Order: sequence, then structure tokens, then C-alpha cells
Amino acid sequence: MNGRLAVWCAVVTVAAGSAACRRPPQPGDPLRGLSATERARFDRGRAVFDSVFAPATGLGPLFNADACAECHEDPVRGGTGDEVERHAAAFHPELSGRPCDELAALGGPVYQNHVTPALKAALAIDSEPVPPQATAIAARTTPDIFGFGLLDAVPDSVILSYADPEDRDLDGISGRPNRFFDGRLGRFGRKALAPTLRDFNDGALAAEQGITTPAVPTEETVAGRPLPDGVDLAADPELSDSAAALLDAFVRLLAPPSPLRLSREARQGRDAFARAGCDRCHVPALRTGTSPIAALDHREVAAYTDLLLHDMGPERADICLGLATPSEFRTEPLMGVRLMARFLHDGRATTLEQAIEMHNGEAARARDAFRTLSAEDRAAVVAFLKTL
Amino acid sequence: MSRFVLAAVCIIAAFPLAATTQQPSPPTHNMQGAVRVVDVPGRAVEVTTGVGMALRVVRVQVPAAVRITAAGAPLALNKLAPGDIVRVSYGGKPGGGGYLAYTIERVGRMETGAEGGGTP
Repeated sequence: MNGRLAVWCAVVTVAAGSAACRRPPQPGDPLRGLSATERARFDRGRAVFDSVFAPATGLGPLFNADACAECHEDPVRGGTGDEVERHAAAFHPELSGRPCDELAALGGPVYQNHVTPALKAALAIDSEPVPPQATAIAARTTPDIFGFGLLDAVPDSVILSYADPEDRDLDGISGRPNRFFDGRLGRFGRKALAPTLRDFNDGALAAEQGITTPAVPTEETVAGRPLPDGVDLAADPELSDSAAALLDAFVRLLAPPSPLRLSREARQGRDAFARAGCDRCHVPALRTGTSPIAALDHREVAAYTDLLLHDMGPERADICLGLATPSEFRTEPLMGVRLMARFLHDGRATTLEQAIEMHNGEAARARDAFRTLSAEDRAAVVAFLKTL
Repeated sequence: MSRFVLAAVCIIAAFPLAATTQQPSPPTHNMQGAVRVVDVPGRAVEVTTGVGMALRVVRVQVPAAVRITAAGAPLALNKLAPGDIVRVSYGGKPGGGGYLAYTIERVGRMETGAEGGGTP
């Protein structure tokens, strides 16, 4: 190799390496800039996420899936899935105090779709029955969980800064926060009930897989009835706190899908998205606060949500949860929406345009503005959303 | 044994028994959650708590001697209401079969959160 060729190869190699370094994180990749320790915890947590449980290792007796990755699988682990689960609650607006009963004393609000063979043999059921006290049953699809660590790191004060429960600015939008039962501000879940990512994850282990942890040391009941003897042989807690913490680390450190490069049409769509007022709830960027993890510390996340509850109108109403009334839902983050095949909390929309059309209530004004856009602009909005 | 001595022995023997039937064992649990039901005749409260979507309801008996407070001031059981956020220390009933409250402190409402930032 002559000298000139060697230099040329070196330049090409460095350029290629540099390009690879600049390659944005792909779905399922960790956040950029993790320490070696954080990266190791991400990798070890991924193994917990992939773990397939059996009754002997703690699965059930009531469950929706035998592994996190069974539902969060598309296009890669951490993504969405085709499972649809059942949540139920009782809403009694005539009652003073709290009108919402999450049916927690009757096994709610998550009613598992599957039971272990031992529970089936004992009770002759294939799934947890929803008690007659329920006033609504909701269908819930699997959300992707990319970038959730960044959402967790957004300070409460940032979320509250977007709240306008009395609609004082008269824009027809009155976002308000949900709260967990202990008073903490909620942010995770379709009704923003779970206050932290760790709570969201620990709760999912129990409610989705029937895996007890030190945080949730007791099993779900069968619509309020204790489990029959002999159907839950694994000793509690079925997963150690250290394993649950590793699982949490994996989810926390998953990078959000990087927005794609905007085409001219997508740029036009981004402008139309703002012009229609969609960005009043789907706030394009949130900023995280102080975090011990540098990759989460004071970062901007293109979340396209305000993490607040909004009334979406009576057509979409299903269950109440915490402070959320049946028609109130948290603004769904749009980061990663290009990876979804079904939209809205119950997956009833199969296209983004349908999903927009199904907005009502506080979103009616933005939906109507979308309708009045030219066909070209409407297509551009969809093209823009497909870059997120 | 004189009647006096016998009575004294009975009183001394009965005192710890009476105490254990009215007082919970030292509190072994703490929780912060929202009042779901106030059962005044039954002197009990049900509290919704849990983690994420794994919710639980804990029913605790509230003997008359239990200290219930709000902002440091005493509070009657019937002044608690669904949606109140309460911090409860409690323990198992002597002999099992449920829980007895040790202290109950009302710290806020679900609509506004707990006083002092809302962290349990």
C-alpha cells in the first residue's frame, strides 16, 4: 500500500467510525452517554426483562403475560405489542368524596386474562372475572416504553406549569394532574396514575405477571377472593429487590426513538401541527431536572405530551382511575408513534388520521382545525407524525 | 388468701390482657394512602394503597383510644372522609385476623396532594 492510499484508507475509516458514533439510537438501544456501570446494569436488566416466568418461578396465579418482553416486543423489546388487556372500575359521580372506586378490594383495576393451570383447576376459570360492581370495562393496549426514564426525570413543577384546570386562558384546554393515592403526582399509564417509573414497573410485575416483589409482596386476589390454598407455591417475594431494580434500570435507560430527519413535507406538517393547536397538549419538548444519571440530567426530551389529564369527550370514556374521570386521559406521548400500528389507549384507530379524528372534548378545537387544513397539509401532519 | 389479695392478683393479671385486646402490637406497618371507606359504627377505615397499577385496600380497626390528627390537632373518626390522604401506622391484631391502627394522621386530599410535597 502506498502512502497516499494508506492516508485515504485512514480517512475513510475515521469518517466511517465517526458516522457510526453519530448514528442515532435505534429502538431498544440504551441512552447515549451511560457510564460503564450504568451500561452494565442496562444489560443485566434486559435479561430480567426477557425472563420468562412459570408458575414454579412465580408466574400468576393471575397474569396477562409470562414475560415483560411478551407484550413489549414490537419492533424490539421495549416496544409495543398486540395484547389487549382489561381494566375495570366503578364510577359514581353522585357520591361526595371520591366518586371513583378502582375496585381494588375486588381485584381491580387490572383483570388478568390468564390463570395458571393450578388456579384453573381450583376455580374452573380461564381469566379473572370482572365483578358486577364495575360500571365500565376498558380495553388497554401495550404502550412502548422507550424514553420513559426521561419522562420520569421531568420535575413535577414542569408538568404543573402546563396545568390549567380552570381554563383561565379560555383556550378550551384545561389539563390537570392525576395523583396517586398517597398524594404524589401521577404521570405513567393511560390515566397518569403511577407517579414514578419504579412504581410503574413494580406494579406491572404484580398486576401483569403475578410476580411479587418486596415493593408488592402480596398476590392479586381473584375478584376480591383470596387465592385458594395450594395454587401459589412460589415463595414471596418471587423476585428480589435487586432483580426488580435491574429491570427498572433497563427500562429507565432505554433511549427514546430518535426523530427521523424531517423532509420538506414533514416540516410543513410540523408547522400545521402547531397551527392546528395540537401542540397545546402534545407539548413538543419537556426538560428533565437533576438526575444522578448524566444521560437523564437536564436533558430535553421530544415527548410530545404534557403528562396531564384532558377530557376527551364522552365517546372515548371508559373507566375512572384516581382523579381521572372516565372521559379523562393523559396526553399520550407521541415519541415513537411511528413504531405503532394501532393508536389511542384501546387501539381502536388503525391510522394516525383516524386517531386525530377520534379526538373530542378538549381536543375538539384542534381536531376541527385539522379538518379545515388542506388535504396537502393533513397529509403533511401525518408525514410529520411518522418521523417521531 | 384474703379477698383483698385475690382481687389484687386478678386486677394485676387482667390488666395486660385488657391492654392487649385494646391496643395493637407495636406498629409493624406504615402506609400512606387514600381513605376509601370510613366505617364509623364499626370503627374502621379502609385505605387504598399499592404500587402502580397493583392496588390494594387495607382495612384497619380504629379503637377509640387511637390518636387521629390533622395538622397536629385531634380529629374524630367521623371527620375523616373518602379521598383524604392519611398516614397510618398499624400492626396485626393480637391473635391475627386483620389490623389495628396505632396512629392516623390526615395529611391532605387526593385533589391537592399531601402537605409538604406529597412524598410519603
